[in-house]
Amino acid sequence: MSSQPLILGIETSCDETAVGIVRGRTLLANVISSSVEEHARFGGVVPEIASRAHLEAMPFVLQQALREAKVALRDIDAIGVTAGPGLIGALLVGTSAAEGLALALDKPIYGVNHLSAHLAVDALDESRSLQPAIGLLVSGGHSSIIEVTDLAKGVRVLGATIDDAAGEAFDKIARLLELDFPGGPAIDRLAKSGDLEAIDFPRGLQSSDYNFSFSGLKTAVSRYLKQAPSAVKADVAASFQEAVVDVLLTKAIRACTEKGIESLLIAGGVAANSRLRAEAQRRCDLAKIELRTPPAALCTDNGAMVAALTSLAVSGGVSPSSIGFSTLSTVPLDQPTWA
Amino acid sequence: MTKVLVIDTSTDRTSAGLVSEGEVLVSYFHDDPLAHGEVLPKLVAQILATDSSIDLVAIAVGPGPFTGLRVGIAFGEAFALAREIPWVGVSSLAAMAQAHNDPDFIVAIDARRREFFCEHYREGKLVAPARTLQREELAEFTIPIYYEPPTVSAIAALALAGETTTKPIYIRKPDAYPAPKGITFRPWSQMDLVPIYALEKSIYLDDPWSLEQFKEEYAGKSRQYLVAEFEGVVVGYAGVMLAGDVTDILTLTVAPEFRRRGIAREFLKRMVDWSRNQKVDAMMLEMRVGNAEAEPLYFENGFRKIAERANYYGPGLTAVVMRKELGK
Repeated sequence: MSSQPLILGIETSCDETAVGIVRGRTLLANVISSSVEEHARFGGVVPEIASRAHLEAMPFVLQQALREAKVALRDIDAIGVTAGPGLIGALLVGTSAAEGLALALDKPIYGVNHLSAHLAVDALDESRSLQPAIGLLVSGGHSSIIEVTDLAKGVRVLGATIDDAAGEAFDKIARLLELDFPGGPAIDRLAKSGDLEAIDFPRGLQSSDYNFSFSGLKTAVSRYLKQAPSAVKADVAASFQEAVVDVLLTKAIRACTEKGIESLLIAGGVAANSRLRAEAQRRCDLAKIELRTPPAALCTDNGAMVAALTSLAVSGGVSPSSIGFSTLSTVPLDQPTWA
Repeated sequence: MTKVLVIDTSTDRTSAGLVSEGEVLVSYFHDDPLAHGEVLPKLVAQILATDSSIDLVAIAVGPGPFTGLRVGIAFGEAFALAREIPWVGVSSLAAMAQAHNDPDFIVAIDARRREFFCEHYREGKLVAPARTLQREELAEFTIPIYYEPPTVSAIAALALAGETTTKPIYIRKPDAYPAPKGITFRPWSQMDLVPIYALEKSIYLDDPWSLEQFKEEYAGKSRQYLVAEFEGVVVGYAGVMLAGDVTDILTLTVAPEFRRRGIAREFLKRMVDWSRNQKVDAMMLEMRVGNAEAEPLYFENGFRKIAERANYYGPGLTAVVMRKELGK
């Protein structure tokens, strides 16, 4: 295999059917089909609806990615696929398609960790050499602080949410405010016209560790809305968002300082939040930390991140997964690929 | 000389085989309802080790339990795409029926939740298209019912005969109910009566129960009342009562903004469990005619209409009486 392996990555852990293709650290294609609109009226992702949509979209997404990358399946050196964590029924569509491709082409397959993959998109910035970083991974399913030295070998999870994920909190508060699903973008938009200091919502878990808790904040917002039903929604959204951003960044930057790491990488769906990005830039400048935020299209679930992590694994000499490797809905984050 | 790779993950069995000119060259299967994803690639790898030249992929596309079903289709379709060969889907029930020549019979695949996907064949012809039947309904048939998974040769034969589709056969709609996350269920307390009454008034505008009625219910015996709570607020309540050799669902109410999140389903499940523990024969309930939200839930859970009661909820408001046999 050349030092610039051609990798196809498949991601189906939630509601995005996605295929990405990379050569080494060069992004060639990133195609995503989302079933998010089909879930909107249920206020959350319905696993069976997502799984059906994955099966329907997969061949089209796959062929579109090959067209965009201008490569043929037979040229692919290895297949990467998200093996977990995620919705089992949804994951299985991706892993089964990946196994079908790998066996038909007689190429190695890598079952990869969805969370590590989110951090691997940073490797697609070829202008920069790979460096240790503190990863702040924030999405609908996760809120973790991760120490990254070599993604192909594994990462160290320093802390994670003990209850709701940040994105989950956004969705729930959006529902209380009668905003659209998904809640992240809706709150981001509304908060722009609100006063972020209007209400002093609690900052959960101000402990010395790197864990998060958003359940208390959610309750506080819910209580506030009951007591003050005529509250200005934009102020509630802005103040809630500020509480989330504040705890996320306080702990992430403290991790950088305490571990002596000069780079903060924010990834995952919530990394697209404009207030999080702006405040992260301000605090990183103050702390003399380099802030890395991938382009928004690479922050939400995508196949390019899976291909990127697989590429790092291939180049790093990691053994492929065995045929018929297990798909797990929860796995330790520090394990980057499946055996 | 078309060599067909056959894949089937539509039942608890995962099968793969290679068929040419009606002859099964090699085939493997493994029985495990939860391991299609792990098993299928291994079986196909074994086949490819014997013979890797394949002209057509034939996939049994259901009906069958959805998660396993999709493993075979996703795998087979990707395999065909990579090999640049065609793939076709075949009805699993039609393939099962190939194995039998009784004048009148049913083929059935376990659909979980005490239901089966069924097709009825008479004189070699499909009489009624695939649908789901409850275990109890199926038990009433006196004609032969066959449950054996389809054979690889039957799937290959249908594929070559052109009786094909490219879509999975689901029959059932998705359960569009995310798990009731963040909702807690518990028996009611006296402290819940006022919030329950407030919810009752806001929903049943014509004839709400009075607070007094709830207090009487609370004092009553042989009942189980539950509340659903979100963030410390009561968002639903349900009650069931022992009445002789049946139990009777007295109320099942969910606040409008918390509907379609699986709360009613969870209440019903708990009331069924409670009723089974009372060792009764059946559960009963009265429901307003045309309660479009509640009716499918009850039907899915085995309740069937047995009577109507005119003016039950007031002049012109008819009640439907439904009954679910609990069986033993």
